[in-house]
Formats: sequence, C-alpha cells, structure tokens
Amino acid sequence: MSKSSFLGADTIALHSGYQPESDHGSRAVPIYQTTSYVFDSVDEASALFNVEQGGHIYSRITNPTVAVLEQRLAALEGGAGAVCTASGMSALFVSFFSLCSAGDHIVSAAQIYGSTATLLKHSLKRFNIDCTFVDINDQKAVVNAIQDNTKLVFCESIGNPGLAVSNLPAIAETAHAHGIPLVVDATFATPYLNNPIEHGADVVVHSVTKWIGGHGVAVGGVVIDGGNFDWLKSGRFPTLTQPYEPFHGMNFWEEFGPAALAMRIRCESMRDIGAAMTPHNAFLLLQGLETLNLRMQQHVSNALAMVTWLQQQDAVAWVNHPSINPDSHTQALFPKGAGSMLTFGVKGGRDAGAAFIDALQLSSNLANVGDSRTLVLHPGSTTHSRLSEKDLIAAGIGADLIRVSVGIEDLKDIQADFNLGLRAAAKVVAIQAEA
Amino acid sequence: MYIQVDNAQTFIATGGKPFDATLPTVVLLHGSGTDHRGWALQARWFAFHGYSVFAPDFPAHSLSEGEALTSIELMAAWLIRALDTAKVDKVHLVGHSQGFLVALEAAILLGDRLKSVTALATASAIPVNAALIETAQTNPKAAAEMMLRWGFGNHHQYGASAVPGMQPIGIGLRIMANNPLAIDLAACNAYTQGSEKARQLAKLGCPSCVILAGQDRMTPKKEGLKLAQELNTSAQVVNEAGHMLPMEAPKQSLNLMKKFIQSVEK
Repeated sequence: MSKSSFLGADTIALHSGYQPESDHGSRAVPIYQTTSYVFDSVDEASALFNVEQGGHIYSRITNPTVAVLEQRLAALEGGAGAVCTASGMSALFVSFFSLCSAGDHIVSAAQIYGSTATLLKHSLKRFNIDCTFVDINDQKAVVNAIQDNTKLVFCESIGNPGLAVSNLPAIAETAHAHGIPLVVDATFATPYLNNPIEHGADVVVHSVTKWIGGHGVAVGGVVIDGGNFDWLKSGRFPTLTQPYEPFHGMNFWEEFGPAALAMRIRCESMRDIGAAMTPHNAFLLLQGLETLNLRMQQHVSNALAMVTWLQQQDAVAWVNHPSINPDSHTQALFPKGAGSMLTFGVKGGRDAGAAFIDALQLSSNLANVGDSRTLVLHPGSTTHSRLSEKDLIAAGIGADLIRVSVGIEDLKDIQADFNLGLRAAAKVVAIQAEA
Repeated sequence: MYIQVDNAQTFIATGGKPFDATLPTVVLLHGSGTDHRGWALQARWFAFHGYSVFAPDFPAHSLSEGEALTSIELMAAWLIRALDTAKVDKVHLVGHSQGFLVALEAAILLGDRLKSVTALATASAIPVNAALIETAQTNPKAAAEMMLRWGFGNHHQYGASAVPGMQPIGIGLRIMANNPLAIDLAACNAYTQGSEKARQLAKLGCPSCVILAGQDRMTPKKEGLKLAQELNTSAQVVNEAGHMLPMEAPKQSLNLMKKFIQSVEK
C-alpha cells in the first residue's frame, strides 16, 4: 500500500497540497516569508505547542510554503508524510538521528555518495553509531552484516557515482525479515522514474536540490515516511514506541501510527537541530517540481543517446549506465529509464580525463547533479576525495572516472561539446605515447 | 493504555496523559476500519484540559487484539465491558460515523452513567453498498481506496492536511487496509435501530450534539439533519470537510465538541 493520493503524478506535481487561498486567490503557491505566526489567543498557542491542533508556530518547525512541498512530495512518493530540510544531507542526518541512538548500528551500501559515506563512517561514529558497508545486492552479505543493534539498512536506489541499481524488493525483504526498515536515498531516480515505497522501502530521502528543483538555484532535502513499517512489532525503536519526555511523554507510534517517524523528526530534529528549509527555497523548488515529469523524459532520452554516442567514440575507454547490460531488477524497477547520470573513462586515464573536463565549454565542471544543464565532475578528486583507495574501489570509482549529469539541452550541442573534450583527451594520449 | 477485555489485549488511547477515572471522561469511538488515531488531536486537547480520554481500538483493529465484532449491538456491549474494566462511571460518548451507531446503542444501556452524546459525520442508519462490502471481503486495500475516494472532501483530495506535511489519505489507507473493514461495513449495514434509539435518547432528555460535514458523500448531510431531528437537537455543519471530518477539520470539530461538552459539564 503506497498510495497517498488519487490524482495522477502529473496532477500531483502541479496541484497537490495547495488550492488557491481565500484571501487573494493566489494561483501560485505564495511565499510565506515569515519566521512566526500570530496566535489567536494564549489557549490557541498552548494547543499548538502541545500538538492539540495542527498549524504553524515557527518556521524552523513548519512553514505553509514548505508544507505544500512536503505534502506534494509525500503524495508523489506515496508516503504518509514528509519533512523538508535544508539539504539532502540534513535529510539523511535527521533520518539516521531519529532511528538510531548511541550504541546502534547501520548496514549501508558501499556504493553511495561520498558525503553520505563520510557521515556514516566518521561523523556518526563520534556518537557511537557504527556502520558496516556491504555490496547491497549481495543479500548474504547484508544478512551477515545485520547485528542485534542494527537499526536500518541504507542504500541509494541508483548508486552515486557507480550507478549500480539497488534491488529494492530483495533488500527490503531481507531487512524486514530482521525487523529492520529500509531507508533509500532516491535522488538519482526522482519520483518520476521510481517510487521506492512501492518496492518495499520504508523511508525515502531526496536531495530536492537536484532534478526535483532542476534549476540549480536552491538547496533542499526531504524525508518521506512510507508509513508501512510496524515500529512496535519490530521492537527495535524506543524512539518511536516509548514515551518521549520532552513532549509530555508523547508516544509517536500510538498517537500517530503510520506518520510516527515524520512526527518524531518534526518534533525533535527540526526543533533541536533546526535544519529547516527556507520558504523561498521551497517556492523555488516547487517551481521545478511542477515540470519534473516533463524534464525527466528529456533527461533520460538525452542520457540514453549519449551512452550510445560515447560507446562509438574512439577516445572513450568505457561507458557505464544502468541501461548497459541491465539486471532483471533494473528493468523491473526502472521501466521509464534508469536516470540521466552516466560515467565514462577516456583512454589515457586521469590526466586525459582532466583534459576532457577542462576543454568543455557548454557543460559545467561543478559539484552538483540533476541541473537542467549538463554537468561533469571528476569524483575521485572532488566529491569522493576523502575516501581511501580501498573505499574508492568499493564505491566503484576508478581514477579515470568522469561523472556526467546529462542535461536537457539539444543533443547535438552536448555531443559537439563532448567532441571538444575528447579531442583534448586524445592529445594527452598522443603526448603520453611520445613520452 | 492497554487493558484486558474479554481476555484480549485492548488498546485505549488516552490523549497522551495517564487515564484518571475520577475526571469527566470523554469516550471517542472510531468509524469503520479506522482507529483511535482519527482523534489524535482532539484526544490530546481533552486530556490536557481536565478530562480523561477513553478512545479504544475496537477488537482486531490496529493495536487491539481479539476477534472483530460483527454487529453494532455486540460492539456496544463490548464498549460497556471495556468501560467497566477501566472503572469508568459517567461518560460523554462521542462517535464518528459507525462509532456513533455504537454510541447510540450503548447510550441506552448506560442509563444514568451517560452524560451526553456527540455525533460527527454520521446518521441514524448507514446503509452500505453491497459491492463495497464484497470488495472489502476480497480486496481490503481496494475497498479502503474506494472508501477514502468518497470519504475525504475536496481539499484533502488535493493533498490538503490539517497537520503540516502529512498526507491524511495515505495515513487512512494504511490504517484501513489492515483492519476488519468488511465486518465493520456489514455491521453498519445491518443496524436498523438507530432512529429508535435516537428518539429514546431525546425522550430521556439526554444532551446531544450533531456535527456534520458539508461535503460528506458517505453519510450525506440530509441524513445527519434527520438524526439531529430524531435527537431533538440542532446540527452544526463544517462546510469545507467530507466524511472524514475528525481528521479533515480537527480544529473546527474540536471547537464544537468542547463547547458542547463544557456546557454539559457546567
């Protein structure tokens, strides 16, 4: 059961969570650029603080513009509720923080975003939360890594930057058999290409900064509570099933059931950590979300064309995209295409790769993905540079790997730009040969 | 809190405070296939403002064990046993949809233990389409979807939520799909004593309150107005809500509920 709206995805992206407000009839979602909200009375203020009624108190906790984005994303992913955060990383942090305490353990895919790997391997360790990294599609390895104190299994639906597709139904089955939820970072997939909750995930996280925004002007994240996990039956989650003293002993599971995790994040993480999304960013991200489905079609179509084109270029050593020799689960999980990220290596290794990137004019060399414009990066020296050589190999990152987030420009112009890069790379190869 | 009723573990939501039978008790009764969480916000208000809240999950619903009860009469008798177990004396009965049919049936049995009845988005009879009951028997998820397509009003169909960031349709579907919806719907359909019980309560002078939803397509407003006549009271209408009134308009419904119950307590 993953549905949470009876509208189609295109309609949800445009309408869900907002109908023209009564005061002025604004058709667009207004920007509620305010820190706080006037209470009708002391009694009303008290009721809001004690969760006796819904509403807004302070924009660190909730905001009307942000709430529209939350409700829209929850509906698109088929979740019970959502909490937007300042960034994708803060969305991951509050998810881990809400499910784990000191002494707990996480099982994570080895092939994940570099900052997430750092968070799991180093930052959380300072709070005595350990992590074991595994090949997430090797279910024996996942089972072997699960401990009595394991609180969640984590993966990316499409790994960054190795682009391995996680077999979500199999991983969810393994996790659930041990009373553990599956948390999925679905940033590379977007709600258009794949809805992880439909395939067994219990919590979905996005960096909304990426394709959902698409414009590259606002940073944001979201945690979507799938609402299907039985936290009580699991017996591993006192943060959700035992009284929470700072809210008069509130028991999130008993009082809010399918939305227990979302409420816990709202009541604790947004209050104590305060990684709130700004209303202006929510507005900008809503503008992107409205056209996500249309843009993704062009992203995927361009990416597939670029894969074929790169495979035909003499200067290219290898190309990687989930569509190349896909697993059966990739085809089942991504019938509309497995995203618009690709990686490749040019002949001549790291130096030739650097020459390729430096020669590009249309495409941008930067640390982001999912922009409507084509973006390139050398992860080994940037986003994943803090990983050891061994961890780089486990994450599928060779020294020559170039990561491409294929944009929605005219295909011929992207290809012309890449031709410039490939010619520069070929020159490096020629110099290497002379040397 | 958990209590044992008929040898089954039974969950009673108390609004976030320990239950105290010495305080005026507000009993909140859920509708078909749902549970105590439909009253989450109202329950907290009553619990933190001088009342004790007694909001059970009926047997086999959500956090309660046991066998699902197959008639409104059985549910009413069970409710009284549950109240006896918790040593509750006088009560304000509040019911949503099916929950109010249970309240009507239990009210007469409670005699002078009853202080008032409050009806939300309901009627004295709730006939249920045979096709819906059949779907609920064979495919509970599909039936839950059918119910909530009709159950929520316009704003919620477009993703509105009284609690920022939540998706009430998603929450409702998850709760209903795992509860004995078919048995509840059949029990509603079979219950024919509602009008008679409502008229009896009116004759006894029981204080009553009827709160209706302007966009209710499951127990239409005109049926709710008929119930108000039978109870010899007036009806209040929340125009912007549908049948899932306690979840859709918790603030408006609470304001009407508390105004009425406070007036009875005076």
